[in-house]
Amino acid sequence: MKYHRNRGLAAILATLMLVGLVTLVTGHRASAAGESKITGTVKLDGTPPHMRGIDMSKDPYCVKAHANNPAQMELVVVGKNGGLENVVLYLSQGLPPQLENMKPNTVPVFDQKNCMYTPHVLAMDVNQDFKVITSDQTAHNIHPEPNPLTGNIPWNQSQPPGAPPVVKSWKVPEMIPVKCNIHPWMHGWFVVVKGPYAITDENGSYTIENVPPGNYTVTAWQETYSTQTQKVTVAAGKAATADFTFKAK
Amino acid sequence: MHRNLLKWPLLLSVVVALCLSGASYAQLTTDQQQEWLHSPAASSHIGNLSGAARAAALPYRRYCVGCHGDLGDGNGENAVWMPPPMYQKPRDFQLAIFKCRSTPTGTLPTDQDLFDAITRGFDRTNMPSWNPLTKQERADLVAWIKHFSPRWQTEKPGTPIQIPPEPEITPERVKAGQDVFGKMQCWKCHGVQGMANGPSASTLTDDLGQPIAAFNFTDGSRPKCGATDQDIYRIFMTGLDGTPMPSFADNIKPEEAWDLVFYLRSLQPHNAFNAKERQISKQLGLKPVNPNAPPGQ
Amino acid sequence: MRMWAQSHLCQKPQRVSSVLTAAFALIFLILSSSQSATALPAFARKYGLRCSACHESWPALNNFGLKFRDNGYQLMNDRDAPIWQNPGYWPVTFRITPIWHRVSSLSQVDTYTAGNPVPTGSTMQRISSTGFDLSGLDFHTGGTLEKNFSFYVLPSSDSTGAFHFESVNARLDNIAGSSWLNVKLGKFELNNLLSEKRTLWLTGNGGIYQTYHFIPANDGNTFGQMGDNQLGMEYMGHSVDDRTRVSAALLSSADGSVGLITGANSYSGFFTFDQAFDAGKLGTERLGAYAFVGEAATYYLTSGGVPIPGSGIGNKGFSRVGFYGQFYLGPHFDLNVVTQHGSDNAYFGQGYGSAIASDGDGTATCTGIAGSPGCPPNNTPGTTLPSGSRAPTWNGYTFEARYVYSPQLIFKGVYEAERMSQQATPGTPSNLGNINNYSIGYRYNPFMTSRAGFAYFGEFNLFQSAMGPLNSSNKATYQNTSELLFGFDFDF
Repeated sequence: MKYHRNRGLAAILATLMLVGLVTLVTGHRASAAGESKITGTVKLDGTPPHMRGIDMSKDPYCVKAHANNPAQMELVVVGKNGGLENVVLYLSQGLPPQLENMKPNTVPVFDQKNCMYTPHVLAMDVNQDFKVITSDQTAHNIHPEPNPLTGNIPWNQSQPPGAPPVVKSWKVPEMIPVKCNIHPWMHGWFVVVKGPYAITDENGSYTIENVPPGNYTVTAWQETYSTQTQKVTVAAGKAATADFTFKAK
Repeated sequence: MHRNLLKWPLLLSVVVALCLSGASYAQLTTDQQQEWLHSPAASSHIGNLSGAARAAALPYRRYCVGCHGDLGDGNGENAVWMPPPMYQKPRDFQLAIFKCRSTPTGTLPTDQDLFDAITRGFDRTNMPSWNPLTKQERADLVAWIKHFSPRWQTEKPGTPIQIPPEPEITPERVKAGQDVFGKMQCWKCHGVQGMANGPSASTLTDDLGQPIAAFNFTDGSRPKCGATDQDIYRIFMTGLDGTPMPSFADNIKPEEAWDLVFYLRSLQPHNAFNAKERQISKQLGLKPVNPNAPPGQ
Repeated sequence: MRMWAQSHLCQKPQRVSSVLTAAFALIFLILSSSQSATALPAFARKYGLRCSACHESWPALNNFGLKFRDNGYQLMNDRDAPIWQNPGYWPVTFRITPIWHRVSSLSQVDTYTAGNPVPTGSTMQRISSTGFDLSGLDFHTGGTLEKNFSFYVLPSSDSTGAFHFESVNARLDNIAGSSWLNVKLGKFELNNLLSEKRTLWLTGNGGIYQTYHFIPANDGNTFGQMGDNQLGMEYMGHSVDDRTRVSAALLSSADGSVGLITGANSYSGFFTFDQAFDAGKLGTERLGAYAFVGEAATYYLTSGGVPIPGSGIGNKGFSRVGFYGQFYLGPHFDLNVVTQHGSDNAYFGQGYGSAIASDGDGTATCTGIAGSPGCPPNNTPGTTLPSGSRAPTWNGYTFEARYVYSPQLIFKGVYEAERMSQQATPGTPSNLGNINNYSIGYRYNPFMTSRAGFAYFGEFNLFQSAMGPLNSSNKATYQNTSELLFGFDFDF
């Protein structure tokens, strides 16, 4: 009686769910079953280069901010166990068409904090909005310097104390250096890629989420050691692994 | 020690160079530029004047190529005699990044901006004022400039900023301008008296990694983008692209901008534009801003 | 520098000359490589501009170069003072032109009878001389001493290496910050819109503008020479875009001779005004007027019959007035026009004036007794002019057309006509002393860099002077001198 009616309804609902699932899987990225991830660790083999301390005496505010916590250059940041931080991982080959133009709704934030960039490297997709804010009470200017011949056009905006956020996006994949002209030690990166991406943490670990099954080339980019690639096959529902080791020069 | 001071500019330059040198700062080819020569973008409209790029081939070769180069990349045969920091490298038209615009930072200038730049020249550079050329020649050269870069094929110039009418110069405005100067911390590069000796002045580099000096308001130099009040207004409200000078358009309101212009005029030695501002500054007994005052005041 | 002494060398047979001529033409055309021309080289080094930016075809100036010169060799970019120059910059350029040329002219040649060493008569004969030759050498030094203080010094030698100062002057530019106030002192070229010193021509009669030098037959006034550099002071003013230009110079009537040997006591003035118009697609057109008016001495005190240098008195007047035009007709073609109405006092017309003139290098041409062969008559007290003597007047025209194929290659032609309108002595043939001057030529610069420049050039000049025997209508016949010239012009 009731059971028979409910079974019919359940069948309809299940069909709808399946249709929905198929639509989602073949349409936009979604965290549905079938999609997987790529994880791994990036390490530095050898003695990391010495990161010099930064003389911030040009700006007393910056000196004060680092009175108890001296700042260092961040070209190579290595955590315990040799994990390499600030490495961007992305899929340089094998991206299905719907992921080529993916534009996440999240807005990564680049902060000018204590006269340093936080994070040091900001990764984003083409056309994905990102936000630049300042948490400092000293004036900065935010000056990314892409190569204008790629299609990304440089701009330069002031960020005095209390300045409103700057929201922008980039048109073309590129590793874009960012600097502050007022504080010459401030140097960061906007890394613009296509498709899913990840950045290593202080252990050198990363996870690229929402990767549909398929064959890919994963590229790891670090600002000093440039790139390395690995071929990876992602099976449905199973995480693939890609570890990288850069050699310290 | 001398070496220490060069540390991070050097490191920075190396890193930047590594990234910039590899990619496509490579030369565009004449074949590509030939194609753009015949495109609609290779034309200019300045008032009633229309310029055509092809009419400018001979004038460009005669007047411009020595510095700007056959490919418009600023590598003319004489560019080697103009090394920074004493000289500034000739403009690279392939990158199409221009200092003096009426349009926001990161956008292309209008034809009028380029026409004015050619007519006016640039003080303290080897770019002369080309006003002996006829207006038609200058308009044609503007069109020619636009055939060097792919950007003109796909991008439209930015929308020129609106400049409100210049208000009357009053002591209140000059004082308010000084407050803006302090709040925006212009003195970090330009110095508290505008002498280009601020704490960050010595490490300034342009987009090509070359040393560059901040504008010195006190030595009689003429501003790069023209000598009038409107020209100064435009400089900090659009930024000088390719240089450390950013755009303050998001941070200075138009009314405040005029106050800042008047204050900046008071820093300059006597010229044709600033008699009133200098007089007011003297009357008010304006002292340079205090860099050690708590920020935000 | 460009005055070729007529060399009476051995006369080459006509045919060999023609063959040589053709050979040279061919050689020069073949050797013309078309490297990209790129860029005074001294100025190019200082500012990074190509030579062609200022020079329509080196050394003639275009409008941009004219503005640079009027500004006192400054770009007005606050980087003009020498302190901003590269250490490798030295404001010196030297220029010399080795050539081959063939000159054909008429001379009164003595005739001899066999066995008689004394000439028995003379006839007018055409003599052709050919050979390799040199021009003089110019050391151009010029530029700024400091912002708004400029200078030009040009020691120049003739083709034998004898030096004189062609130009020595210093200038205060933009006095009180105004482009209308510039003052120059020294020896300098007059503010001629069509510059003879920057001429593209090098033949004897084609390398000068006849309109700038014309003197009626037997006239003694050698001082009103617009094409020669003069000694004096010049005020010059111009608008910031150099479209309007005005100048007034006070000169010693000495034709640039130093040492007070001639015009110590007489002065002349040179005044110009010109205005340029933006003619859109055609280019810039410039129209102007000039006046060279002054006095020069006709009487020299003598000692033992020989005129005493610097003692000139008895000043009489002269004038040369006219119009300039500079017309650009599109990107490749321009036409320069100079007109002149000239007038000398009747005393000059009768030959008085240049008793102890010099040839520009400071040494007198006549050191003998005035009135003796080679020395003009002296206007001693009591001298009266022949009855009916009049002021000789004339009208002159110069047309120079240039076809600028590119900044590297220019084709040019000149036509000049000087026509007497009133002879000094009644009864003189009305056309005596008239001149026609034709030149045609090319210059090709295979390169012109900021280090050095080089040009191949070829010219042909035909100079006709109405000084020949009278014809049936009592007019003097034209006597022709022609010159064919090929050479290299180089400057460093």
